[in-house]
Amino acid sequence: MNPSSEITVVLPAALHARPAGAVVRAAAGFEASVEVRHDGRTASARSALRLMSLGAGAGSTVVVAAAGVDADDAAAAVAAVLREAS
Amino acid sequence: MDMALVGIVLVSHSGKLAEGVRDLLRQVATEEVRVEPAGGTASGELGTDAAAIEAAIGRADTGAGVVVLADLGSAVLTTRAVLADLAAGPVLVDAPFVEGAVAAAVLASTGADLATVADAAREARDEPKF
Repeated sequence: MNPSSEITVVLPAALHARPAGAVVRAAAGFEASVEVRHDGRTASARSALRLMSLGAGAGSTVVVAAAGVDADDAAAAVAAVLREAS
Repeated sequence: MDMALVGIVLVSHSGKLAEGVRDLLRQVATEEVRVEPAGGTASGELGTDAAAIEAAIGRADTGAGVVVLADLGSAVLTTRAVLADLAAGPVLVDAPFVEGAVAAAVLASTGADLATVADAAREARDEPKF
């Protein structure tokens, strides 16, 4: 069974185009598959368009969920990008 | 180590539209990805120009291939005519201009290969905006 990891992040800024691109780049460096969940919806961290379509605004809460051999590091890297979003 | 990234060409009837999308991609996908606009005619009118498209494809290619996005109608036709005269390689993708370009450029910025970048642009057809 693959390890998995979940990290909750309160967004300092909306998950709009620039942070979505940064999330995709962060997740691409890992083998684990990474998702971002918001308000009952899920977007793959491989798709900037899906991440933007979540409509996650500033101050909202998202969950970064990773599954795979490097799930802990992948979730941490994506969460770090989201915490620094501007 | 420098890794070649897939380049993006934006074919539009409007130079301003192509350049505006290029500016957007720089923000979303970093300046590492080469994005070349080919918009308008040689005299600056609305329209498409085969020579400008061919030159943009040449500038965008740094060794990993090129994905071409076209806005409408004759942008597709002119691009197809240009590609027919070039060696196989550059891929014209059937995708919405802005969303396809964003999806492609973001994937290109991760170092993804040509097929993956082209697929990302193609998938933009079916992505809801909200």
